[in-house]
Amino acid sequence: MPALPVNVLYEFMQVTEQIVEMMPSVTSGAPESLISMRNIWKTYQMGIEQLHALQGVSFEVQKGEYLAIIGPSGSGKSTLMNLIGCLDSPSKGQYWINGSLVSAMTDDELATIRNKEIGFVFQTFNLLARATALHNVELPLIYAGMGSSERNEKARAALASVELGDRVLHRPNELSGGQRQRVAIARALVNHPSILLADEPTGALDTTTSYEIMALFEKLHEEGNTIILVTHEHDIAARAHRIITIRDGLIEKDERIR
Amino acid sequence: MNFTEVLKLAFSSIWAHKLRSFLTLLGMIIGVTAFMVVLSLLQGFNLYIDEKIAGIGSNIITVQQFGIDDFKDSDTIAAAQRRNKDLTFDELNFIRERAQTIDKIGVKAGGSTVDIKRGAETLQDVRVDGAEPVIADIEKLDIAEGRYFTESENNNSVRVAFVGADVASKLFPFGSPVGEEIAVRGIPYKVVGVQTAKGSIFGQPQDVFVQLPLKTYGSNFGGFTRNRLLYFEITSLSDKLFKDTVDEVRTLLRVKRRLAFDEKDNFGIITPDAITSMRDSILGPTFIVIIAVPGIALLVGAIVIMNIMLVAVTERTKEIGIRKSLGARQGDILKQFLFEAATLSAIGGIVGLILAELLGFIITKFIFQTSIPLWSAFVAIGVSALVGIVAGLFPAWKAAKLDPIEALRAD
Repeated sequence: MPALPVNVLYEFMQVTEQIVEMMPSVTSGAPESLISMRNIWKTYQMGIEQLHALQGVSFEVQKGEYLAIIGPSGSGKSTLMNLIGCLDSPSKGQYWINGSLVSAMTDDELATIRNKEIGFVFQTFNLLARATALHNVELPLIYAGMGSSERNEKARAALASVELGDRVLHRPNELSGGQRQRVAIARALVNHPSILLADEPTGALDTTTSYEIMALFEKLHEEGNTIILVTHEHDIAARAHRIITIRDGLIEKDERIR
Repeated sequence: MNFTEVLKLAFSSIWAHKLRSFLTLLGMIIGVTAFMVVLSLLQGFNLYIDEKIAGIGSNIITVQQFGIDDFKDSDTIAAAQRRNKDLTFDELNFIRERAQTIDKIGVKAGGSTVDIKRGAETLQDVRVDGAEPVIADIEKLDIAEGRYFTESENNNSVRVAFVGADVASKLFPFGSPVGEEIAVRGIPYKVVGVQTAKGSIFGQPQDVFVQLPLKTYGSNFGGFTRNRLLYFEITSLSDKLFKDTVDEVRTLLRVKRRLAFDEKDNFGIITPDAITSMRDSILGPTFIVIIAVPGIALLVGAIVIMNIMLVAVTERTKEIGIRKSLGARQGDILKQFLFEAATLSAIGGIVGLILAELLGFIITKFIFQTSIPLWSAFVAIGVSALVGIVAGLFPAWKAAKLDPIEALRAD
């Protein structure tokens, strides 16, 4: 048997290494859970230094869970939220949502996932100032390519479900903070996403309104929605049924409290 | 995101910044208006010439001593003066006897201007021609009053005159000139007819003339030489044969004059085509310059639009972030901003077109005939939309490429 040239052998080893690296995504199929994060890393290049915002985070979320992610600022909480919300892709690791491997997707595929699977609720509401409540709620449906009459009907229904049925044609500046956040929640829910992802949803609201919004989240959870709440406030997190605590890019604690 | 959604979006954001949109559009509006006004003037000018040529008699072939080409520059004029010879009755008869495609052929002479008198009244600088009676049929003269001269009046050199409308109205402000006498160079002529008023061509009044029977003219003005040269007017049997007639006349005259095949024509044949092509050769280079100037205005308009779209993208970074977080793909954002730029620009085009239409209306009413051809209206709107798309391409691409996280973080 002729001896194998060294360079061929070396090449073979390199290819093997690459294949092994790709292995998990090929071998392990879609998980049962709604969300499955497996050894997620997020690294930012800051000049010559590397900043590891997330250093191997793994957890699963089942359908219908009410989860809070808590952590001090700089803990990697926001990075994690961006990844869960498919606004960003991990540097390493696998992220599955509703049976799709999100971590390997292109920007446009991510946009589709955001449209179909994720409903965002932001601290500062992020409504389009010039548009009416109705149009704001219609936006995800527009990007889903829905026809205008069906869209209108669904958006009105979503607004009615957050008790804003009589405010559909108001613009954000004609609404109170709590009402704005309810418009944002209606917008998040209108496309029936897999996850309602809320980032400090009460951060810009007074205490009374905060309680109203939290009560609304509870109601939505009871109706079967999966809710992920990102916050740094413990009493808000305490409303959830499970709390994941992030510190220094790692999960410090993952406890079920209810 | 479908077409109507994107269009609605474009209109609403343009409407949201009314003043800014308007100012942005000014460049575009001015460009398109200038473009269209210039074009409509040119078009009007062309129409005007075409109408006038039709008025002259679009099917008349004129054979004269010099052709249009001979007047190109001083060298060609000099060469033509050396080469070209006067036309003669001999040649007229030669053509008349042999030509197969000619309907009518007639002779005119003259063109010099003299003073015309009626009693103490004088009308200066009146063009006096001699013409055969058949010229009335060839030129399809519109006779307002009276008649043209007859063959016998021509053959007997009778002193009769056919006059233009201005000559009639100025010398005979009250009552009809028919049957009255006018004096040309001291010799009295009886007016037999008046032509219908024709206006002017290239600033040349067409109604200040006196026509005399050719033979009367020849005997009273001193022969057909110098500035009283003969020229032939010919009509073709049919419009289809027009070109053949031109060729036939040219060939016959060359044969009669025994020109070798490599010699140039020593006469000129003028057709309405020759007049239009002369017009085109004058207007051609002008046209390019005239179109280029508004073109620059359009370019400036495009730059302004690009600038404002860049501002819009920066200003609406947050909106872009929100849209992306809700599932807008890069293509959706790209379309949104491209459409906005194109719509903005097309509105400018439409406003410019309306303004041009108005200006054209005013110009036509008070100064000069204008006409906006339909195709150019579509071209103006199309071009302005295209300019918008090109100008919006870079800003829209910038918007589409924004990182959603960064964009959401913007104020």
